[in-house]
Amino acid sequence: MIIVDNVHKRYQTDHGVGPWVLQGVSLTIPPNLSVGLIGRNGAGKSTLLGLIGGVDQPNKGRIERQCSVSWPMGYAGGLQGSLSGRQNSKFVCRIYGYEHKMDDRIAYIRDFAEIGDAFDEPVKTYSSGMKSRLQFAMSLAFDFDVYISDEVTSAGDAAFNKKAADAFEKLSDHASLIMVSHSEDTLKQFCTAGIWINNGKAQWFDQIDDALSAYKGSIAK
Amino acid sequence: MLNARSPLSITLSVWKALFLRESLSRLFSGRAAAFWLIAEPLAHVSFFVFIYTIVRVSAIGGIDTALWIILGLFTFFFFRRTSEQVTNAIRSNKALFAYRQVKPIDSCFVRAGLEGFLMLVISLLALASLSLLGHNVIPDAPLMVLVAVFGVWLIGLGFGLIVSVVEELVSELRHILGILMLPLYMISGVILPIETIAEPYREWLLLNPLVHGLELVRAGFSPYYHIVPNISLTYLYQFALVIVFLGLMLQRHFAARLVMQ
Repeated sequence: MIIVDNVHKRYQTDHGVGPWVLQGVSLTIPPNLSVGLIGRNGAGKSTLLGLIGGVDQPNKGRIERQCSVSWPMGYAGGLQGSLSGRQNSKFVCRIYGYEHKMDDRIAYIRDFAEIGDAFDEPVKTYSSGMKSRLQFAMSLAFDFDVYISDEVTSAGDAAFNKKAADAFEKLSDHASLIMVSHSEDTLKQFCTAGIWINNGKAQWFDQIDDALSAYKGSIAK
Repeated sequence: MLNARSPLSITLSVWKALFLRESLSRLFSGRAAAFWLIAEPLAHVSFFVFIYTIVRVSAIGGIDTALWIILGLFTFFFFRRTSEQVTNAIRSNKALFAYRQVKPIDSCFVRAGLEGFLMLVISLLALASLSLLGHNVIPDAPLMVLVAVFGVWLIGLGFGLIVSVVEELVSELRHILGILMLPLYMISGVILPIETIAEPYREWLLLNPLVHGLELVRAGFSPYYHIVPNISLTYLYQFALVIVFLGLMLQRHFAARLVMQ
C-alpha cells in the first residue's frame, strides 16, 4: 500500500520558486492494484510519479510506502557515464542486496537489454535507445511489489517495445504497476484504476475507463 | 518481494557499492587519472624542495627540509582533498539519490573514506621515494603521526559536510570559498614556517587547527623538531569534533532539501 498524504510540490527555479505543480494531493493506492496516471502535458504526472518513487521530495505532506517500490523504470539518472553497463548494473545489485546472486542478475540484465558487447563499454558511448534498454533491464532484474514506469514503453524501437510490453504482462501476476502513458491502449491493457491529475489536484477512479472519459471530457470543453 | 534488510545492512551495502563505484571513477576515468592523483602533490613537493634548495635551507626547525615540506604538504592535502571531495559529493552523485537507500550523507562518508585511503597510499609512496633518495623518513612516534593526520582528515570531513550543505542552499558561496582556500595554504604553515612569525600574530595563526595538525605530524617524525609553542592535540580534536558534529547536524536538518530537485 502506498499512502500519499496532502502532498504539495513546486520547483526551485533560477528566479525564485515556481508555481505549485501539485497542491494537496491525497491518495491511497491499495496493494496489487495497477494504476494509470493521466492528465495533460505539464499537469504533474511525472512529478507525482517521481515523488512516489522517491526520486524527489515533496515540499509539504508525506508519502508512505508500505511495500517495496522500484525507482522509476527507465529513469535517466543513476548511470555513470564513465562506467560500463556491467559496472553500473553491479552497483545497483550491490545496493539492493543482491550481492550473493550478482552473476545471475548481471546475466539477466545483459540478456534482456540485448545490447551485445556494448554492455562492457562505458555508458557514455551508448545511444539513448541503448541506455533506455539497459535501464529497463536493470529495473526488471529486481523483484519489487510495485514498479513505477514513466512512458517506458515508448522509449525503444518496435522490437524492444514489444519485449517491454510482454515483460509488463508477466510482471502483473506478482506485482503491480503505477504508470504514466499517453497511449490509451497501454493504460487499458495494464491498469485497473486511474488517477486524473488536473490543476494540481488528483482524482481517483476505480476504473481506468472512467478516468479516461473524465480526462477526455475536460479536453472537449 | 525483497527480503527486509536491516537498516545497518542496507547502509553497509550502499557504502560498499559507492566505494567501489567512486574508486573506479576516481582512478580510471580519463587518461591516466591515477597518475595525476600522485603527480599533483609530488609536483608541489618538488617545486618547494627546489626553491628551498636554491636558497640553501637544509633544515627547518631542526629537521630535513624535504621531509618538513613533504609532511606539511601531504598533511595539508589530507585536509584539502578530503574537503573538496566531500564538498562535491552531493552535487556529483545527485542522480544516485533516485535509489532511495542512497542518502547524501552516504556519498560524503564514502568520498571522505576513499580520499583518506588514497592520500595514505600516496603519502607512503612519497615517503618511500624520499627514503630511497637517502633521507631518514622513519617516524619517531608513528602513533602520534597517525592521530594527528586523522584529526586533520576529520576536519576535512567536517568542513566538507558543512560546505556541501551551504553550497547547495546558497550556490554563490562556491566562488567565495574558492578564494578563501588559497590563503589557507599560506597561513597553515605548509611552506612558511609559523615559527618565523612574530607574536602577537603567531597566536592568531594558531587559531587555525591545521597548524596544530601539521606541527604535530612533524614533531611525530623527529624528537628534535623545534615545535611551535602552544601546539595542542586537544585543540585539534576539539575543533574537529565540533565541525564534524555541526556538519552532521546540517546534513540531517537539510536531508530532504539536498535530494530535492
